[in-house]
Amino acid sequence: MARIELRNLRKDWPGVTAVDGINLRVDDGSFVALLGPSGCGKSTTLFMLAGIYSPSDGEILFDGARVNEVEARDRNIGIVFQSYALYPHMTAAENIGFPLRFQGLEKAEADHRVAEAAALVQVDQLLQRRPAQLSGGQQQRVALARALVKRPRLLLLDEPLSNLDAALRLTMRSEIRRLQRHLGITTILVTHDQIEATTMADRVVVMNRGRIEQEATAEDTYRRPRSLFVAGFIGAPPINLVPALAAGDRVTAGEVGLRASRPVTGEVVVGVRPEHLRLAASGVHGRVAAIEPMGREVLLALDGPLGRIHLLIAVGAGMPAEGAQVHVDFDPADTLLFDRSTSLRIEDVTLTPDAVVAV
Amino acid sequence: MIPAVALKQIEVSGSARPDWAALARRTRVRGMAGQIALAAFLAIVSLPIILPYFWMVVISFTARTGGVSADVLWTACAVIVPAVLLYSLVHLVVFSPGTRLAAGVGLTVVALALLAWLVGSRLHIDNYRFLWRANLVEEIRRKATAGGQFPSVWTAFTNSLALALSQTAVIVTVASLAGYYVSRFAFRGRALFLHGMLVAHAFPAMTLIIPIFLTLYWLHLLDTILGVMLVLTAIELPFYVFVMKGFFDSVPWEIEMSAMTDGATRRQAFVLVVLPQVRVGLIAVAVFAFIRAWEEYIFVRTMLIENKNWVMSLYLYWVADDVMGVDYGIVAAVSIFYVLPSLLLYVFCQKYLTQMTIGGIRG
Repeated sequence: MARIELRNLRKDWPGVTAVDGINLRVDDGSFVALLGPSGCGKSTTLFMLAGIYSPSDGEILFDGARVNEVEARDRNIGIVFQSYALYPHMTAAENIGFPLRFQGLEKAEADHRVAEAAALVQVDQLLQRRPAQLSGGQQQRVALARALVKRPRLLLLDEPLSNLDAALRLTMRSEIRRLQRHLGITTILVTHDQIEATTMADRVVVMNRGRIEQEATAEDTYRRPRSLFVAGFIGAPPINLVPALAAGDRVTAGEVGLRASRPVTGEVVVGVRPEHLRLAASGVHGRVAAIEPMGREVLLALDGPLGRIHLLIAVGAGMPAEGAQVHVDFDPADTLLFDRSTSLRIEDVTLTPDAVVAV
Repeated sequence: MIPAVALKQIEVSGSARPDWAALARRTRVRGMAGQIALAAFLAIVSLPIILPYFWMVVISFTARTGGVSADVLWTACAVIVPAVLLYSLVHLVVFSPGTRLAAGVGLTVVALALLAWLVGSRLHIDNYRFLWRANLVEEIRRKATAGGQFPSVWTAFTNSLALALSQTAVIVTVASLAGYYVSRFAFRGRALFLHGMLVAHAFPAMTLIIPIFLTLYWLHLLDTILGVMLVLTAIELPFYVFVMKGFFDSVPWEIEMSAMTDGATRRQAFVLVVLPQVRVGLIAVAVFAFIRAWEEYIFVRTMLIENKNWVMSLYLYWVADDVMGVDYGIVAAVSIFYVLPSLLLYVFCQKYLTQMTIGGIRG
């Protein structure tokens, strides 16, 4: 197990900066998710941790010791790739035992460790099969066993669930979480799927364009996003972001007027999550452009003076038809206010109702 | 949004119910007609290839010194062609594998019996006596001919084997290492290197024959198997490097990364994890390189002179040169002996050879 620290870590490729100076601490035994869209530098960061890429600048520290120059094979890291990267010519048992070949273990001890790791992820019945004879979920488990068999100080997971079907993803999510807790192993997960990140990890690191946008608990990234990017990336269906103008203590977006707890000036963006909007007798008006049933709830898309707005409402009576004119209302306390020029959230301001101008 | 007006215009055309049974019948008839046409076409185009080989076999087992007659060939054809046609007919009509097999075995037995009865008495293995008698040609011509005494065919066979095996070993080793490097590493001049190899492969090597001859002479490698092997290897290598590059390209990078985080060095990752993935490519390249070396004629003809250095193609050439017009049987028998190793390799490694083109295309 190890405490990981990244200091001003940078990776430049010819013409591109993949990772642009990031700082991060991962506590011993904790589970951290690197979350971001493709190309945000999360995988590059992972590969630098694994020792496959060497950083252009900055430092990687394991338990306070610099490991930049330590080769991948000496770092004792377990890694599960998106494609699992199992060795096709070896059986599951040989795959799991592969890392032990380089540790000079006695055969009996190695066999014991393989059986132990296989039992941990419940593939002990499949040890004589080759990867091609295993289902996606089984391959995933074998890959996990191979990563764990050497008792690594750090477990890296690169989009481990993205090749599984929805039901299996749910199972593996809780299973990986259970394993991580059980073994107490420091784990870093890379994913573009916010559900994976927020459900599995203790802390979520949202990345964008090679930088860390926010590092917080899953709840904080949702409730208190640090920037417009985090607000837009976390939460499904995504947050409604409406441009507004602030002058003094008044914030105006089209027909909506809000009162700020302290004076704000300039162009701002008001964010309201779809689940915080509700149908009402008066308020912002719009025409129902699309209705998407999502099971327990229904997502409505409204076209109105503020552009397209999405709201999530419970299934039930009084469902408007497509094309109907409706009004929506919200509690201003649920809104988030962002400075448009810096893209950062204005944190010390709360909004209260001022007047909703009826049209 | 699609305007409602436009939506109205898109309607299922032709409301009449189609005749499904007729459509299904049409597909079946077309399928069968296509199969027959394809089989007929392939049979016809393969005739010019099969017939000469078949004739060669027939000559080698029937001809005697003094001339060759075609009547055994025609008799054999008269038995085999109807048997094959009959079997094709069975295949078209009967679908159970058991019956098909029974028909095949039955027809083979009948054809063999007919052949034994019609031409059996004319078969002999006299033409293969070159396998145990070295100075065969002089026995036939009653004087020493070009090249002086004929070497034993086994000398030529051993030389051919040495040439082909050493060339195969060098090509497999160099092509796999170079292919891996070109596939995985970025280095200055990589594009130029790849283009250069393509050009080198497109360049007709025959035009270099005089400079190569002189170079070998200066290096004292003229008239040695080693010299020819080096020349042929150099000429052939670019192609095989490309083929191997294609195979390595299709091995995912992540497997190697995984091996290295698992504790392997780069070399261990290559040997333990990458090489097994390109096993098919290695076999294909090996077989192809072996066969190419086995059948080589122009360069060995130019650079191997003394008869102790003859390879099989030269042995065949000199046999043909000396006894042609007198004893076709022995030429045919030597040809069969010469073709046999390539043929066996092709038969047993066919599936790898077809994979090679796939690997090549990926590159």
